Parts: sequence; C-alpha cells; structure tokens
Amino acid sequence: MVAQYGIKLAVSIISSHFGDLVAKVCECLLRKGTLSLGDLVRYNQLQSNQVKNCLLVLIQHNCVQAFSVQKDGAFGEAPKVVTQYTVLFGNILHRLRFSKFMAIVSKEFDKECEELLEALLQHGRLTLEQILQRAQSISKQNDWSNAVQDALRESFVKLVNARYVERCPDPEPFMAPPDEEDAPKRSAKAAKLAKKTAQTLEQRAVAAAVPLESKRFAIMIDTGTDVGGEETPSQSLGEKRKYRELEMDRETMVNISEKEVLWRANFEAFIRRLRHKACVVNVRARLDDGAGTVLNAMLEATKKAESKVKTENSVPLSMDTILEEVMKSEEGRTMTLERVRGALSQLGCHSSTRVAEDSYSVDLRSIIESAQNEEVESIIMKRYGGDAYRIFRLLSKTDRLVETDNISDTTFVEKKETVKILYNLWKENFLHMERITSHGSKQSEFLLWKVNKNSVWENTFDEMCHAALNLSQRMAYELEKEHEILQLPREKRVGQRFERIRKVKTLLESSLMKLDDGLMLFHDF
Amino acid sequence: MGRTPDLKRKRPISNSNSPSLTDSERVLYDLIKSKQDMGIWTRDMKRETNLQDHVVTKSLKSLQAKKLIKEVVNVQNKLKKHYLAVEFEPSKELTGGAWYVEGNLDTEFIKQLKELCSRHVFKMKVATTDGITESIRRSGVINVECTTQQIAEILRVLVLDNDIMEVRSTEVGEFASIPLGTVCYKCSGKGGPTGVSKTGAMVSIPCGVCPRISECTPDGIISPRTCLYFTKWLDF
Ligand code: SF4
Repeated sequence: MVAQYGIKLAVSIISSHFGDLVAKVCECLLRKGTLSLGDLVRYNQLQSNQVKNCLLVLIQHNCVQAFSVQKDGAFGEAPKVVTQYTVLFGNILHRLRFSKFMAIVSKEFDKECEELLEALLQHGRLTLEQILQRAQSISKQNDWSNAVQDALRESFVKLVNARYVERCPDPEPFMAPPDEEDAPKRSAKAAKLAKKTAQTLEQRAVAAAVPLESKRFAIMIDTGTDVGGEETPSQSLGEKRKYRELEMDRETMVNISEKEVLWRANFEAFIRRLRHKACVVNVRARLDDGAGTVLNAMLEATKKAESKVKTENSVPLSMDTILEEVMKSEEGRTMTLERVRGALSQLGCHSSTRVAEDSYSVDLRSIIESAQNEEVESIIMKRYGGDAYRIFRLLSKTDRLVETDNISDTTFVEKKETVKILYNLWKENFLHMERITSHGSKQSEFLLWKVNKNSVWENTFDEMCHAALNLSQRMAYELEKEHEILQLPREKRVGQRFERIRKVKTLLESSLMKLDDGLMLFHDF
Repeated sequence: MGRTPDLKRKRPISNSNSPSLTDSERVLYDLIKSKQDMGIWTRDMKRETNLQDHVVTKSLKSLQAKKLIKEVVNVQNKLKKHYLAVEFEPSKELTGGAWYVEGNLDTEFIKQLKELCSRHVFKMKVATTDGITESIRRSGVINVECTTQQIAEILRVLVLDNDIMEVRSTEVGEFASIPLGTVCYKCSGKGGPTGVSKTGAMVSIPCGVCPRISECTPDGIISPRTCLYFTKWLDF
C-alpha cells in the first residue's frame, strides 16, 4: 500500500500534468487499488465516457496498466472476463525525473537522441512514425530531407539498443486464475513464506505485460527477418509463406513496423543508471575518489548486462577488464594497479566475496543501504542533535533490542538525558520500545529499544513525499504571486523582483531534484 | 558490559574495632559495613535498625568524624544519600563506572580523550586499538593512566559519531603491516565529522527539519503557502 503523502504527491503530479479529472480517477485507483471501469464510474460519480478518457490518458502515459481476469458469473450464468485497471505509482513519480532521464541520454548520445526521447516522454507512447514527426516539431528544423530522417532513425536505433527505449507492454494481458488444486499441499510455514514472497496479482499482471526480452528491444516487427533472419525448421508452411511475403516487400514491412508498433521510454533502464550514479556518489563521499572511479568504471562496463533495477551485486569482472575500464576514464588514467587493488578492497571485494578466481563484484545493495542510513541519520542529527545521532546509530548498527542503561553507557550520554532522547525518538516513530518487568528481590522495569528499519524507512519516504509536495506547492504559489512580471517580454524582465523570483525558482527546483534523489533512494533503488 | 575494573579496590580489614562507639553507632556501623561496596541509603538504615531519625543523623555524623564511614553520590538518584564503610570503593552501580565523577558523567575528560583519539587516528591514518593506546601513552599528553579498554570505548563512540570508521585489515595497501581481519580505525570520508550528513536531501530544506510537518497540510492553517520557514529560506 502506498503511503499517505505518496498518494498526495502522485495525485498532485497527475493533476498538474493532466488536469483534475484525470487526477480524480488516478486518486481513486491509488486509494482503492485495482478497479474495473464500472467501479470507477460508480466511485467517482462520473460518466463512463469521462472515466474512459481519463484511463486512456493514464495508459498513454504509462501510469495505468489494464489486465483481464475471469470472474464467476452470477448464479446460472457463465463466468465472464472483466478488465481491471491498476495504477503504477512508481511510474507517476518518474514524471518528476524526466529531466534526469534526458540528461543521461544527452550525456551518452547526441542531440537527436535527446529530441527523440523528449518526444517520447512528452507523449508517453508513440509509433516510430509519430516519434519522427514530434522530434521534427521539437527541433523546429525546416530541413526535413530524407537524410535528416535517416539520421533520426539511426538515433532511434541507438536508443533502443541501449535499452532506453522499448516496445510498449501488452495492453491487456489475461491473468488466468491460479489453479489451487495443482499446488501441492505445503506446511503452514512454507505456505506463509510463499505468501510473503509471492507477487500480487497486479505485480504478476505488470510482469506478464512486458514483451519477451527478444521482442522488447527488436526494431522490426516479429518475423524473424530482423537479426540475420534465419528460418527455423520448425516454422510451419503458413508462417513461411507469411514470412516470404513480408520478405518480398520489405518496404511495406518497414511501413507497418513504423506505423503500428508503439514505443515508450524504458524507465527501468534509466532508474538503473541513476542507481549506479547514486552508488558512485555515495562511495566517493564515504570512501574516496579512487573507490568511486573504480566502481564507476565497473558499472559503466557492465551496464548492458544488468536486467533488473535492484541488482544485489555488480556483474563480476576480471582484474584485467577492470583495469582496462579504469584507464579509459580521465580520473582513472593515473591509477596504478596497486591503487586499483586497494580501491577494490575498500569496496569490499575481498577474496571471500569473489565469485570466482580473479573475478570481482561489488555489493551494490549494501552501498544503497549505507546511503539510506546516512539520509535518516542526517535527519536525526539535525532534528535531535549529536547525542541522539549517536544513540540512533548505535541502535541501527546493533539491530536488536538494547536496554536503556546499556545505551547510556556505550554512548556516553547521561542516563536521564538518554531516557529523554529515546522517548522523543520513540514518539516520532524512529524507535520501537519494549517493556520488561523483572520480579527479583525488587520489582523493576527495564526498557528495551530497537530501530525498526522497515517502518522507519517507510515513514521517511512518506515524509519526503510530503516535503516534495510542499516544495512544489510553494513553487506554484511563488510563481503565481509573480505572475505579472513573469508575463513580461524578455527584455523587460529585470529588476530586484525579477531577480528574486529567478533565485527562488532555481533554489526550489534544485531542492526538489535533490529530494527526488532521496525519493528514488527509498522507493526505487 | 565491560568496564575498567575499579581502581585499587581494597579488601575489608577485619575487626578494626574502634572502642569508642556508642551502641547506636555500633549498630549502624555494622550495618553499613555489611553492605560492602553497595553502601546503604539513610532511609533504609532507619527501616532496618528501627533507630529514630535524630539518633541516626547524629550517629552518622559522629561515624564520619571518626573516619569510619563516608558519603557517596548515587548516580541513579543524586538525592539518595548513600554511606559506605571507608574500606570500600563504591560499586559501579553507585558511581556509574569509570567515566563518572561524583555521580556526574565526566564530560570534560571524555571530550579531551575523544579529541586526543581522533587526532591520533588522523595522524596514524590506519591504526588498531592497541596502536592508538600505545601512541597516546607515549605522547604523554594526559597525566591519568588510560586502559586499553577505556580507549576502546572512546573509539567506539567516535565510530558512532562518524568521526572515524571501523574497518578490517585486508593486508593490502595501507593495511600491509596489520594482520588480516584485525579491527582498525581510520578517519571517515571527506568533510570530517558528520560531513556526509550535511548534504542529506531532507535536511537541506525547511520541511526536512520542521517540527510542524505533521500539522502542515496544503489547505490547513500551517501550509507551504503561508509557511514562515519557507519565507525566511527564500528571502533573497
Ligand atoms: S511547509 Fe513549512 S510548516 Fe510545512 S512542513 Fe515545510 S517547513 Fe514545516
């Protein structure tokens, strides 16, 4: 379930991008979970047509996924297939970071690629033909010769090959009901475990909608003519004929392919890159530049090999490859073998964690965890001071219940003060407390404390959403206040008031971007 | 938890009877002495001996004057007067342990030691607890004897403060002279103490440290539009 302010933030994003009506439908899905069109009409008291249009907008922008399930019919009726809509909360928040996605592409590729991506981000889903048209209107070029078009097509292929652009998912996968009889009887414990790790119906639907890896990034339509185009003996005669026909008219095929296949930005790939960057930034600050450079080189070399966002470990590399990659980067050119070895050991690549002989892999999960810890700890430091910071870090590192006096002794904080701090942290949900009464010679009560990471992390994410919402609302308010002077023609936009609003805007925007890094840290990484 | 064993804890000297004690003094003295290093609180004495208030007060004064008992501060409750026979050093429960002086945490001493330790870690780049203790001893800057155990406690606090970090020797590079797996300390990343935390995303905006965030809503009395923290922050 999405946190309270997570929902509010998502709704405000949708409302500012697509208007209040779409936001209303979106909020309903966020609060109530997966619904059918009928449910949505009923809950929102809107006309079926209105809801349909809102859903179309949300689907177009990859914020909603539809899927169908079989529902038992009423008494005496046959079961029927119903379409369900599920909202993709993560994808809504991704809208905050489109500029970061663009920056990645602009750094790795050229201007054309950036324009193509911009068109996709603006419109959600497009066919290649449409993409080319939008890119043309964005670049405002008059020259629209075949050569320019070909260059754009080439850029498009680059983006798909880099996995930054993918084919859209199946618009409505059918989710078969799980066959309960098939499942072997399991012990209660195993069943519980399975329940914990099992995906929800929504997660399964989203996964089912994703095209097969081979198709997901295939430029041509699915005839086998794409790469090499070899015939497999198992192809039936009919298929063969189809294949031949298409082969005969490659031109037509390209046309169909350009006009019918829908493409979109592959958010996963971008988030994966941003996760890599976050890891490198954290390592640079926590360890040193050398370690950062080595990690960066390792991730750079293997960026195509990862397929999940939240990979635990980086792809294993041999020392030779790492060295080679490190040398490629400017800051790495001066590093000696000894220095690289040292950096790898700083990164925790010891012989014990080596996957195989002379093969190194970095525990990315633990880097992300340190970054999350640091963020929470910095909040404690600023709100409650140094003693509380020390106490919190003790409990967070110990990761089990610790008694008050023990905490006071270890952290050098006076007993009374310790109790006060612990109580404050507990009140704000940073700590979990347990009371133990012992009935010895004297009856006495002990208080035990612990950091419950899951709940602290969830609260932090929710507060971040709250803060992000506040930032964007203040921004809207400031811009509205200075509405008049912002309307002025460029040459008249001078003077103190204009200077102020410019600074305000810059500060609010950059803070929101930084906060968004935090949102990703706790939600996506 | 491990504490330094109390310095020179004396064993009770048996039967050092002073002849000149009154009956009530004798009763009180025996009671206090029987409590060894835990001592006893005045109220408990009264309860256990059934002596009257003024008798207890007078006898305690006289026993103190005869240097047979002493008063100590109880770290748990500073108002509870505790008495101990002079032969005993107060227990850890009473004093709070090696870091307490008269029931108060010796913050000044701790602060000095912390600074000293971080300086030594900084100077030595990578060091073990023993190495740091040795280096401090040799430098001779402090006049009190510090046990390795005490230094270890200080180092642990410095780790919690994020001034230094705990690492294990890999026998590679800077660890070359330290056996594999030994716990070592080195200065934490750039920016020194809490340098990392200053750049946290939340703490760089007003809402991240706002005491009113739970009451702040878009259309409430406290809202981002009217918020004074923001106004101050955006005051260019
Ligand atoms: S907008 Fe102002 S009052 Fe609201 S949480 Fe932020 S700083 Fe606090």
